[in-house]
Amino acid sequence: MATSKSDMKGFFKQKKKSGGITKAKAKSSSTKKSLSPKRSATYGSDITQPAALISHGFPDIENDYDEKEEVLRQFDMNMAYGPCLGMSRLARWERAKSLGMNPPEDIGHLLKAGKVGAECLWEGRV
Amino acid sequence: METEDSSSENGLLHRKQALYSSLDSCFEIQKEMYRGQQYSQIYFARLHLMRTLLYSLLPNWKPHIHVCTVIGLEEGKECIIVGTLYKHMKLKPSILEEYSKERSATPLVRPHNFMHPDDHLILEDESGRIKVCGDVLLPSVYVTGVVVALHGKETGTGDFWVEDVMEAGIPHQIERPIKSGEDKYVIFVSGLDIGSSTSNPLKFQLLVDHITGHLGDKKEQSIAAKIVRVIIAGNSVEIPRGLLNGQNLGSKDQFTLSEPIKELDIQLTQIAAGIPVDIMPGPNDPANFSLPQQPLHRCLFPSSSAYNTFRSCPNPHLFQLDDVSLLGTSGQNIDDLEKYSDANDKLEFLERTLRWRHVAPTAPNTLGCYPFTDRDPFFVETCPHVYFVGNQEKYETRLIKGAEGQIVRLICIPRFSETGVAVVLNLRNLECHALSFGTEFG
Repeated sequence: MATSKSDMKGFFKQKKKSGGITKAKAKSSSTKKSLSPKRSATYGSDITQPAALISHGFPDIENDYDEKEEVLRQFDMNMAYGPCLGMSRLARWERAKSLGMNPPEDIGHLLKAGKVGAECLWEGRV
Repeated sequence: METEDSSSENGLLHRKQALYSSLDSCFEIQKEMYRGQQYSQIYFARLHLMRTLLYSLLPNWKPHIHVCTVIGLEEGKECIIVGTLYKHMKLKPSILEEYSKERSATPLVRPHNFMHPDDHLILEDESGRIKVCGDVLLPSVYVTGVVVALHGKETGTGDFWVEDVMEAGIPHQIERPIKSGEDKYVIFVSGLDIGSSTSNPLKFQLLVDHITGHLGDKKEQSIAAKIVRVIIAGNSVEIPRGLLNGQNLGSKDQFTLSEPIKELDIQLTQIAAGIPVDIMPGPNDPANFSLPQQPLHRCLFPSSSAYNTFRSCPNPHLFQLDDVSLLGTSGQNIDDLEKYSDANDKLEFLERTLRWRHVAPTAPNTLGCYPFTDRDPFFVETCPHVYFVGNQEKYETRLIKGAEGQIVRLICIPRFSETGVAVVLNLRNLECHALSFGTEFG
């Protein structure tokens, strides 16, 4: 789980609000039109040197996904239910159900409740 | 609709009627939403559907042989594997060949058969694929997309040596009640090609006149009164494609473009005024390209669609008349099989698709197909009593029998513009004969 910011304030140097992995804001680029396009990509962002790596010593490998997403990813990877690309997870679960494969019910409840990723990890990327 | 006797009252002949129900809902794609999926989904649906079926048939075939997946194969151990066949064909046109710098002397695309003695089959399931060898599974018979069960063992070279093969087989057929009944005829015609140089409007007019009872004497008319339905199986028009060169069409060209459809509409109005007619789209008709082709739009037939006897149907078309179930296509599935496999005649291709329980096994490999995700609509659930294909070279028919006593009438409907032949089927006893129209003397 990602640690909350309140604990980290003592550890980290305070950075500008526009820091972190964010794009350069439109406001700043309009006031600084003289900037060459090459520099505007990293203006105000620490994408090449994220704060965590500098100060902590070890990379924070846990991205912001939780155990629910982990369960869903295992469901995506399960060969028995067919390819995961090109279908929403719920559609794939419904198909597994209608073809009589008895997919686990709690995955169905999880998907129907909303709040979790509707597509598999590679959707739109492949 | 009640069946009426065709006895004449007051000199009037009444046309017979048959109860019609359309079972085409599986071929409609209006509810489908394309979400960027690829064809892996339809192949998975097909494999799962047919594998479940084949697994249920295995105990009757070879009950004591171990069943496993491709990845679970052990060398030398006899087992049964079930998967989708892929036929590797040397001469099959590949889009990548256009980009390769070295081109062989042979031309890129040959219009006829792409078979080659070096073709081989590969069996595939979700876990892996394995090359199939042996004399039992002939590459000239099978095509990509057929799901079969193979009994054999893995050899030292990593191939699968086949000892026996099991196809899904002809599905169960709902028995027709054995009653003598009365003769009711269905007319099948295809390849009208209205608007082409080969079509003779007089021939089609003769057909229309015969069906509607405007030809012949009382005896002839009473035969025509027994016709209950007309099925037009594709390629009804030939749009002059020479006009479509990418530029905006002038009003004169637009008029020429729409002339064949207007002529077809006029003829269909004559038919629909007196008898129910089903029209299916074909490869040359103004419908979508990929199977299942959607019904031709009503706006193309402004005057005939006013009749409730006019019905625009998809391709493939599955329907029931009284208690006879009929299934058929406009020819794309069989023509594609002809390009990638070999048989003695077209009826043999038809029979194979029925034994494989799949109307178009080469879709989506070499036949355009919609990428369904959760089903495969070309899977044949129950055995039809009549199985037809349109737009073939000549009229051919055969009655085949299945292992459980199923009886199927196979019909190849010839192109009317070339042959002038329509097919007449008697619903009572599934007998078939040709109706030919000629316009030359002597």
